[in-house]
Amino acid sequence: MLTTLTTLAALALQQTDTTVPVRSGARLEVNNFGGEIAVKTWSRSAVRVAASHSSHDRIQIDASDQAVHVKSEGGRHGPGTIDYNITVPTWMALNLSGVYTDIKVDGAQNEVTAETVQGEVTVLGGSGTVSLKSVQGAVTLEKAKGRIDLNSVNEEIKATEISGDLSAETVNGDITLLQIESANTEANTVNGDITYDGTIKDAGRYRFSTHDGELRISVPERANVSVSVSTFNGDFSACFPVKLTGKTKHRFNFTLGSGSARLEVESFDGDIKICRPGQVGKDEHDKDEHDKEDE
Amino acid sequence: MRDQWTDRLSEYLDGELGAAERAALEGHLATCAECGATLAELRRVVARAGALEDRPPTADLWPVIAEHIGVVSLPARRARRRISFTVPQLAAASVALALLSSATAWLWVRPAARAPVATTPLPAASPALSLVTAATYPDKRYAAQVADLERALQRGRGRLDSTTVRVIEKNLAIINRAIRDAQSALAADPANSYLNLHLAQEMRRKLGLLRQAAALAGARS
Repeated sequence: MLTTLTTLAALALQQTDTTVPVRSGARLEVNNFGGEIAVKTWSRSAVRVAASHSSHDRIQIDASDQAVHVKSEGGRHGPGTIDYNITVPTWMALNLSGVYTDIKVDGAQNEVTAETVQGEVTVLGGSGTVSLKSVQGAVTLEKAKGRIDLNSVNEEIKATEISGDLSAETVNGDITLLQIESANTEANTVNGDITYDGTIKDAGRYRFSTHDGELRISVPERANVSVSVSTFNGDFSACFPVKLTGKTKHRFNFTLGSGSARLEVESFDGDIKICRPGQVGKDEHDKDEHDKEDE
Repeated sequence: MRDQWTDRLSEYLDGELGAAERAALEGHLATCAECGATLAELRRVVARAGALEDRPPTADLWPVIAEHIGVVSLPARRARRRISFTVPQLAAASVALALLSSATAWLWVRPAARAPVATTPLPAASPALSLVTAATYPDKRYAAQVADLERALQRGRGRLDSTTVRVIEKNLAIINRAIRDAQSALAADPANSYLNLHLAQEMRRKLGLLRQAAALAGARS
């Protein structure tokens, strides 16, 4: 019986494979209810849409000078599960959205907007505005530059090799920011740790806040930064000597160099540790290894 | 996201920026709606703080707030009729003032829709309203907004996947716990600027998640 059903399901699967030419500057817009949107890049000025879907679903591809729109119609059966494999020019801006959808992008060199409810968002590349959101899924970004906005609710956020303004926010998850080149970074979570390993630039602004979690923040040698530390029920430690000033019950400051940058670190109920670049990343690596061993 | 000018707005308001920086900031203000809004809010806070100074000190809380958030030489500042605080200080004062004013109303007219975050028993009305009260009971408008969004979410929850509903409820509970923690801490240290800002941040976050959830529920209709 099960074999019969599986065979029928396989027979009902349909493949769509269409390639359309695009003009420079056009953007890709994909909306998918359930399944996956996987986008990779090539050097051709064309978009190839390969989709695996039920025979009930019809894939619509509308191409104009400005945009290529990809969506599906499920007819009376409603929206189905569709796995898209889309290949686009590297310069193409991407606007991808879904509901029960995983989103993966590899090699983008322009703006990327990706939003899903239940699914992971994983992007390699991106330039300009990069905005990635998931309610119930991890958000991961690597090798992007520009104005970066990462948002989850119930999962972790990871960003690596990022250059530019960076904002990361989740409610229930860790935030890990490694190899960051930024003059303006903000990260906050309610229930999770925050790790930042990156630059502290002169006149830059950095703010890291968690309610229940630890903060591990890197401050490079020779950084010129005014640091404000706030914790209600946590300890503070630094891997190098600091002279605390303005010390009150739950808050104090210290200044390194000219103090032109501003770094605010806040954890209501967790420890705060400030170390040199590489040291916090190493801690994170060790933690990952430890977690793997536990598994 | 805060940009490099956000923390300079207080200096700008006080005329403490040099000509070049002032010109650069004004140029930035022309293109940054967020900084414009922050500046407008700071102006309102300064105006309210200024108005507070002129009131008869029936409940003289401002010196306590100012002292705890690190404002120096308050009498001298009063003499000059000039207020100059940092953005966090102004924000803390703003939160404290907003909560204080709404808490007074709360004591006389208890709102029908009570925010679920207010869990501590209501203390008896006192002429000298303490900041503990102010910090513990959220602004009426905030409570009304939360109640509206919760109703909208309740109406639309049937259109959301059960897993999504569970995730949203779980995360609202996490935020509520953070709010309660901050409120309890403020009860012991009511003028603490960090705790005031932390509470405000978590309250804003709750509104944000409720809006997001209500939008998701509405989007499915």
